[in-house]
Amino acid sequence: MTRKEIVIIHPRPSSIVAALYTLRDLNVDVAIMHGPPGCSFKHARLLEEDGIHVVTTGLEENSFVFGGHDRLVKLIKKSIELFNPKVIGVVGTCASMIIGEEMHEAVLEANPDIPVIEVEVHAGYPDNTKGVLYALKSALDAKIIDHKEFERQEYLLAKATDIEKRFGAASREYLAPSRGDIKYKVAKRVIQLIKEGKKGLIIMNAKKETGYMFADITLAVNEVAATLGIQKNLINMANIDTMLGLPRVRQHAEYIMRDLKAHGIEVHEIIGGMDEYPITGEKVSELVKDKYDDYDFAVITGVPHAIPMENIKHMELISITNGPRQVLPLKEMGHEHVLVEIDLHPKTLGVSKIVESEFGATLREIAKEA
Amino acid sequence: MKNQKIIAIYGKGGIGKSSTASNIAAACAEAGNKVMIIGCDPKSDSSITLLRGVRIPTILDLLREDMDVKEKNVVFEGYAGVKCVETGGPEPGIGCAGRGIIVAIQKLKSISGDLLKEQDLIIYDVPGDIVCGGFVAPVRKGFVNEAYIMTSGEYMPLYAANNICKGLSKIGMPLSGIICNSRNASREEEIVAKFAEEICSQLMTFIPKKSIVQDCEREGYSVMEKAPNSDIAEIYRKLGKAILENEKKNTSNSLSDKRLRELTK
Repeated sequence: MTRKEIVIIHPRPSSIVAALYTLRDLNVDVAIMHGPPGCSFKHARLLEEDGIHVVTTGLEENSFVFGGHDRLVKLIKKSIELFNPKVIGVVGTCASMIIGEEMHEAVLEANPDIPVIEVEVHAGYPDNTKGVLYALKSALDAKIIDHKEFERQEYLLAKATDIEKRFGAASREYLAPSRGDIKYKVAKRVIQLIKEGKKGLIIMNAKKETGYMFADITLAVNEVAATLGIQKNLINMANIDTMLGLPRVRQHAEYIMRDLKAHGIEVHEIIGGMDEYPITGEKVSELVKDKYDDYDFAVITGVPHAIPMENIKHMELISITNGPRQVLPLKEMGHEHVLVEIDLHPKTLGVSKIVESEFGATLREIAKEA
Repeated sequence: MKNQKIIAIYGKGGIGKSSTASNIAAACAEAGNKVMIIGCDPKSDSSITLLRGVRIPTILDLLREDMDVKEKNVVFEGYAGVKCVETGGPEPGIGCAGRGIIVAIQKLKSISGDLLKEQDLIIYDVPGDIVCGGFVAPVRKGFVNEAYIMTSGEYMPLYAANNICKGLSKIGMPLSGIICNSRNASREEEIVAKFAEEICSQLMTFIPKKSIVQDCEREGYSVMEKAPNSDIAEIYRKLGKAILENEKKNTSNSLSDKRLRELTK
């Protein structure tokens, strides 16, 4: 009955940050962090680019010793004054949780007349999805999401955690970061495959807003094929169902669909919603088995390790991830070419249209030369 | 919903909270109530006299070993069917005992939610010194609905009791009564009754100092089990009943140090 888990020593996503991103997906206007000034700075800053206000109680040594209750009460009031929000979130941190701060008491005392999502979270959880779960649970309590959506999300999170442990960055004690293969070489190979008349699957299985950049690769491969006059050999799959997920996530799907259509790209198979990246694998697998078994290559973007190898292992696999620690696991799974879009996430925050990817740009340049 | 009593007993360390708590628990259980005692002291000895001197595994012992903690691993039935739980804690001087209490009571709530709801009386036995946020977690997390303070008539325990009053009113927890555990100080009952009156509370009972309490404890028993016919057993029975029936709670005042000195002169 002892839980056996490996201890991972490389730096990894934090559950506080996961809670912050979830609050953003729930369309919170202000996220109040109850903790030290620099806690989660990098992501807090990025989230501001994504249109939500992030503020901190900035606890220092004295607050650790004497408590930070008054600061939180003041900051809740001040945030309401400054930003006139419709919904706010209050997020715990390691420091405030260890000293036993009761954020709920501060909320009661500030007594705002808008809903507050209180997330009692710190960064000491091996699975950072705990932060998402706690935020969703509080949103459920605050009646911001319904029970059905909560259960759906809970299921997706369990699947996502499972995939990361089996094939992802949580699959072993230490994974060295890597920039993957050279984009120039792989772009040449893709163009060669298209030229040779090989049949290819372009599969986007992206996590939420990262799709704004991964969709550019779908776009670029199709453009290149169109330039060469052989677009018919390509089948596009994408997890951009506009009817699934939280409102913000559906909107991403709508924008991406709109942009792809504007470029005349047909998405032949919709494989799920943009939060369903952990469960689209089975669907892709079945589709391949039933309809596309004879395809020669596949370009898989986003979360390629969520697609089971069984039915695609005979194809030449070109994967594009945004996780530098995902390269080795993908290579070991049998993906021949693995590319990393470095710093993808920051570029996909605060946008509402497809943004250029390095691999997409490389493909387009080489196609011009050809 | 039934009228569930979830109490915490505060007071200076060594004043007799744990032995009184286990005797009250035993007395109420004998009278047919469902009772649970949750020891929140890292020393983990709140329920030991209900378990014939045997130490039980604590919630934090198991969490430290990465065990998947189940109710049956941490809730043990003691004398008269009292459910006994110990939160446990780190070794003295290491880690953070306050966080330990928070984690342990949250774990207990998640594994024993139904059992907690079933009880007529739950006693949280908390350490005397509320040195950090974690030690008031049972109260602040909304688990406790009544607080009692135990003191003798001596100056130092009264001083501690007075400080606890300040603390309780600071966190908005009303006080349900004062329990006097005698240390044979002069005019003891009178002093403590006066103290209770001046802080706007009530004296629940006066427990005289009797060596039989110590004798029973040394052998690993509560008074209720080992000496059920003693006078003091009857006092615990009455106190238990009074607590179950008590409906009075007040936000407590606290006294100035000057007044406290005058009172104990």
